[in-house]
Amino acid sequence: MGSKPARRFVRYAPSKANKARVVDIRITDMTAADTIWWDSRIGPRHARITTRADRLWSWSMLLPMCNLVQLVKRRVCRSLVIWTRAGNRQFVRAGMSILIERYPYLDVAAPAGDSHFVWFISAADSGVLSAQFGVAEPPALGRIFLDNGVVLSQNGGFAGRIGLHAASAGGPSLLTVYVKCGLSRLPSAAPLPGSIRRKNDGRFFYADELVAEALASALDPAR
Amino acid sequence: MELAVWHSFMSEFMLLDAETPATVEAVVEAVVRLSAFSEEQLLEMVSAGKLHEMFPFRPISGQSVPPDYVSEGELVEASALPLSREQRNALLEASLPAAERAKPRQGFSRSIRRPAGRKQPR
Repeated sequence: MGSKPARRFVRYAPSKANKARVVDIRITDMTAADTIWWDSRIGPRHARITTRADRLWSWSMLLPMCNLVQLVKRRVCRSLVIWTRAGNRQFVRAGMSILIERYPYLDVAAPAGDSHFVWFISAADSGVLSAQFGVAEPPALGRIFLDNGVVLSQNGGFAGRIGLHAASAGGPSLLTVYVKCGLSRLPSAAPLPGSIRRKNDGRFFYADELVAEALASALDPAR
Repeated sequence: MELAVWHSFMSEFMLLDAETPATVEAVVEAVVRLSAFSEEQLLEMVSAGKLHEMFPFRPISGQSVPPDYVSEGELVEASALPLSREQRNALLEASLPAAERAKPRQGFSRSIRRPAGRKQPR
């Protein structure tokens, strides 16, 4: 039996307002210029939305900090930008993410190798995208962020396994988002991998190989 | 990671509330201190707006804000395949502020946006 071809990142996402419709998206590697743009054009608007877990994130600090800290830990980050098409047919940044490659798999009860860890993700507020940047149909990016992690994990030899922690600033609603996205929630009584020096607060999520494949397959038509 | 890239990376900061650039030693010390925290703890620290307490630096200012819009032809999509060491180093360099990157580096921009030798899986 031949091996499966590597998956690409998706190029279409469902519209946030109407999930039956799809909108164009593109994914690029994140540079310093992207973080400067986001901090200047999106960050100040997010800061006023008190319910957002990412309202105080500064991406121009996050990008170097994450890279440096993970280098000390002998891991590497992969940082991506998601763009969406605006009314002028050009693309504008709509999402930012930083994930860690080759991270300990959160479900220590399962005999599996490492995984990828989805560390920081931020989708531009749809109202901001529409009003400030002329995006008629802002994309729903929750599953796309996770898919990026799954695809990199699959292509990197980690069978799609991913993990993440839902920031407590996101409250219960953020937990609901990840459950709806199809991730498994690590029970709060479950132990964490030994190298994670923290007790389990019940806000960790993960996808095993089967869940990851199901999530990725569902988006295959959009690649 | 090549030592030169690491050293350059460490030199790209200013101390907050100060006029002087941070020393490499100060940045290294702060990074090592941060690395004692778990990823979940760092996420919470950042979300609480407290990162500056442990990492009192910011990238050297004066960067121009890129345009809001980019045409499809200008976008080079990221590869979903594992990156080579050279490609990783190129991405690390691209995460540096533009002023410091103004020094010519041959083939830089293309290597970032379209890593050589890697094509998107079809």
